[in-house]
Amino acid sequence: MITKTRNIPDGKDVLKKLPLIHHLEAPYLYYPITNQRCPEGETCVVFGQFVKVGEVIGTRKGAFFEQPIHATVSGEVVGHEMKFDASGKRVNCMIVKNDFKYELHESVQSMTDEAIEALTQKDYVQIAKEAGLVGLGGSGFPTYIKLNAKNKIDIILANGVECEPKLISDYEVMMQSPEELINGLIYAMKAVGAPKGIIAVKKRYVELVERIRFSLNSYTDYDIEVVPVGNHYPQGWELEAIESATGIKVPQFKLPADYGIIPFNVSTLQSLYHAVKFNLPVLERYFVISGDGVVNKSFKARIGTPIQSLIELGGGYVDRHIPKTLIMGGPMMGSNVTNDDIVTTHTATSLIVQNSLHLTEDPCIHCASCVYSCPVDIQPVQIMNAVKANDKDFLKALSVNKCIECGLCAFVCPSKIHLTDYMREGKCILRG
Amino acid sequence: MQNMTFISQTSPYIRKETSTKRMMFDVLIALTPVVFFSIYRFGLDAFTRILLSLIIFVGVEALYFLAVTRADGYNFTDKIKNKFKKYTINNFSAPAVSGVIYAMIVPDHLHIYAVVMGALFGAGIGKMIFGGLGFNLFNPAALGRVFIALAFTTFFTGSYGFIDAAAGATALSTPFPNVLNSYSLVDLLVGNIPGSIGEINALAIIFGLVYLLIRKTIDYRPVLSGLLIFVALSTVAGYVLYPTLVFEYVVFQTLSGGLLFGLTFMITDPATSPVTRPGRWWFGLIVGALVFFIRSFGSLPEGVAFALLIGNLLVPVLDYPMWANNLFTKKFYLGYSAIFVLLAVLTFVILGGYAI
Repeated sequence: MITKTRNIPDGKDVLKKLPLIHHLEAPYLYYPITNQRCPEGETCVVFGQFVKVGEVIGTRKGAFFEQPIHATVSGEVVGHEMKFDASGKRVNCMIVKNDFKYELHESVQSMTDEAIEALTQKDYVQIAKEAGLVGLGGSGFPTYIKLNAKNKIDIILANGVECEPKLISDYEVMMQSPEELINGLIYAMKAVGAPKGIIAVKKRYVELVERIRFSLNSYTDYDIEVVPVGNHYPQGWELEAIESATGIKVPQFKLPADYGIIPFNVSTLQSLYHAVKFNLPVLERYFVISGDGVVNKSFKARIGTPIQSLIELGGGYVDRHIPKTLIMGGPMMGSNVTNDDIVTTHTATSLIVQNSLHLTEDPCIHCASCVYSCPVDIQPVQIMNAVKANDKDFLKALSVNKCIECGLCAFVCPSKIHLTDYMREGKCILRG
Repeated sequence: MQNMTFISQTSPYIRKETSTKRMMFDVLIALTPVVFFSIYRFGLDAFTRILLSLIIFVGVEALYFLAVTRADGYNFTDKIKNKFKKYTINNFSAPAVSGVIYAMIVPDHLHIYAVVMGALFGAGIGKMIFGGLGFNLFNPAALGRVFIALAFTTFFTGSYGFIDAAAGATALSTPFPNVLNSYSLVDLLVGNIPGSIGEINALAIIFGLVYLLIRKTIDYRPVLSGLLIFVALSTVAGYVLYPTLVFEYVVFQTLSGGLLFGLTFMITDPATSPVTRPGRWWFGLIVGALVFFIRSFGSLPEGVAFALLIGNLLVPVLDYPMWANNLFTKKFYLGYSAIFVLLAVLTFVILGGYAI
């Protein structure tokens, strides 16, 4: 198929219909002390100490920021253990034994609307920092850094496109609690002094557009609108969502804030609402288990819940004799984990269990489907040839660093060549 | 939980429902009307030549595959068995496509010996020594055809059947206004003219073209680009040479000879095309213009094959990473239209529209 491919089957409609299980019965919860962005971390509790929901139990330390770790249940700290996190890395986790009382910590207190009205940008940044808010769309980038923008910001974009197949977490957030999202958006607008807010969602979700528009009727004081954008992949990519929703073209390697716009994931905005209004960290996330190798189930679970228990609760694996591939995240860009001993973290919203398919690669026939489909207009096939020849000059000329690893090139290849891997290799060669 | 095996992969984990196999078989399906018409028209002559070139193309590929592929095994027969396991459907379908296309562009009365030599050359030198599928620089069918045209020239005398007393070997070799007395434009459409086995029936070829375009197995860009420049240049030539018969001249030039067949099945061969969209526009422009010039000033019956080979030769230049780009820039639009107009003006001047 020598053509530009942008629409990929997403299988979301089936997943949306699954009954939602609110899972609060996990006996032990695990909190990674380090993660991808923060290679170091420390705890500030001792074994045997009793912690409450929302209490700080440690700090992760990144290159230029620190991130508190919060308990999401009340109970006793009982030890630590190695587990896999959402990125597929083995990390040390603190264990809290759940007492099923869900007692709130003293710091969790709601703020009156008048008090919120009086908050300054500095206060918002402080709140986001203390609540440990990160980009919940998957980046895990600290939210307070975004809120601390010094440029003049005109637009806050709530990115609810979620273009990856099989992910429904953002959809659920928008569908179940649009008011929280809108309030979060208003807080973000206040924090940076942006006059306008835009919520970008897929055109296809007519019901969602209607629902948010209906909720917006009670917020007529603010200039917020819902913009339906394209259904294709990768529409949810920051820069493409900005361009479709506002018409502003942000070049790659530039910060959207320099162009007067800050994009947030809708779940991040919801967590900002919780943090400002109730002084709560992120406690729960929607988590969906999908794929052909497992019984599909949709959950709402506390952060720190071991995923093994969710799988068992959902009904376990099917076709156990077939080797499986575990994917955290979407099937296009998700990360691979080699063991199901995983815990949910802030950025984990989906586990896909696939019956592994064995793909044989045919020779490249230069059909250029990859070139036509590439969203950043680079030439994957030429980069593959340059990687094979180990040619740095060509790799630079072909600007392999523009690649966002969306996976479309490998997806469309009729010869089933894993081009995305060649892109990664090309980046490695350029790095030296 | 312990007895499960987890396999490590990298993203993306899903693939589109498409394959190289499907593309090859699409081309074979698109070729069927042409093949059936040629057998209907030329009978056993066509049938033997098609079958022969099929066998040779597939056979050369199989032999080469067995000779070159490395496989493990504890003894000779085991090695051969393991080699056959690596033999995929593409090792059959790809040479089959080349074989049929090659048979379609040889004349119906060409001596079997010449057909065999061309097929051997096309399959062996044209494709396999470069490394097989996807590595060949030249279109194997076109290379085989040009090889016999140059090396076995005498075999071509009288090789085109149905020689009309008033007409030449092919419709194209007859002087233009007179040819309309021998063949009407409808004859050109339905293939009631002498010529190579598969090139004469325009309708069957257009059917294949439409099928391939609907299935998106081929890219429309080189086809459209080639057709545009060819029609533009023939219009200029018709205007200069036969001012009263411009329309007939253009239609005659477009429908006769191997132009349509070449544009449908040969220029669209992905392995020998550039990989960018602007590159494919350029490719079409080069081939289309060359076909016209060879026709106007060279009168070789295998002009399309020659033009295509020269086009193939320029593909690495069009694809050179230092300047090739998949974006339609202002530079491309300006350059393309400038060359287009320049070629038209050159044709006008050379054909004597403007006396110096």
